[in-house]
Amino acid sequence: MVGIDPEEKAAEHPIELVLARLLRLGSLVAAALLAVGIALMVLGQSAVAPRLITAGLLVLLGTPVLRVLVAAVIFVKERDWHFALFSLVVLCAVAAGIYFGKGM
Amino acid sequence: MVITFITIFAIGIAAGVVGAILGLGGGIIIVPALTLGFGMPMRTAVAASTVCIIATSTGAAVAFLRDRLTNTRVAIWLEMGTSMGALTGALVAALVNQRVLFVLFGLLLAYSAYNMFRTRKEHARPEVIPDAISAKLRLGGSYYDKALGRRVEYQVTRTLPGLVIMYFSGAAAGLLGIGAGIFKVPAMDQVMGMPFKASSATSNFMIGVTAASGAVVYFARGDVKPLVAGPVVLGVLLGAILGARLMMRMPASKIRLFFMPILAYTAIEMIYKGVKWW
Repeated sequence: MVGIDPEEKAAEHPIELVLARLLRLGSLVAAALLAVGIALMVLGQSAVAPRLITAGLLVLLGTPVLRVLVAAVIFVKERDWHFALFSLVVLCAVAAGIYFGKGM
Repeated sequence: MVITFITIFAIGIAAGVVGAILGLGGGIIIVPALTLGFGMPMRTAVAASTVCIIATSTGAAVAFLRDRLTNTRVAIWLEMGTSMGALTGALVAALVNQRVLFVLFGLLLAYSAYNMFRTRKEHARPEVIPDAISAKLRLGGSYYDKALGRRVEYQVTRTLPGLVIMYFSGAAAGLLGIGAGIFKVPAMDQVMGMPFKASSATSNFMIGVTAASGAVVYFARGDVKPLVAGPVVLGVLLGAILGARLMMRMPASKIRLFFMPILAYTAIEMIYKGVKWW
């Protein structure tokens, strides 16, 4: 039931693999920072702990934005101009949201 | 304090599992748990929940991308709608009557719950014929369904109505401070004709980007409390990784069955919030 589909291996989907690697790296770094931060908190190191946790949360926050940026770069490399443009629109909207949001 | 940490961590795991399976952020579990269970202020809970949406999205996406359950092309097309919508929502939040919005969005959810119930049997769905945009942008896809033991090929249709709905779901996220996965899954499944599992995985992939711009605002305001958000987010990350693996082995009909009551509950909750003060 769980067997690997032979077509699965043959199919080339570089963008999915690159994005998967990026998101895995982001979650691993964030999880490590959070885990160390929480462990230090429990051990009573209340000076460093919140900073480590905040760093972990910020890494997590940056990962999806970086994901859109990397997707845009891949589409430009593949000369897939439609999707490069779509990614750019998303990036601009997120950037504008951050810009206006901070002022609120 | 250690006990509190462990409890919050466990709630995070549960929210991550549910969120990853259904393509939602898990806020539906985290916000009530933190406010009602731990007496935390709404702002702290919503801020923690927003970071959790990103954690669910990122944690689950790794497995979904590898198994090609996520349709990245559809995701990027629709993210244009959600991100522009979220921007509009954040900008006009102060100008509009929130109660009317709650009722409107609640009715919309009730309608999608009804539609989803009506078409609950996957084989009862009409065949999907791709529209011009979908064909040109090659939005159709295929994935290997571990529960069925075969490859599922699918087409995508009504690309423009889908984009418009995503714009409003993004606006709902910005206006009401919710993760809008609950709108995204029915939009892909019901309107665009995508299989439920692909809809859920793609929604999951998208919610991280929608939530990121919102989370920045909460960070800037200092609403993200590291000691609350830390354990819950770590739990959600682990739960999402686990939930993604579970989801790939679950039959789509079971996941739909699980999604419908949550959809109906959220619809009632939103309408109630809207009419409460009238």
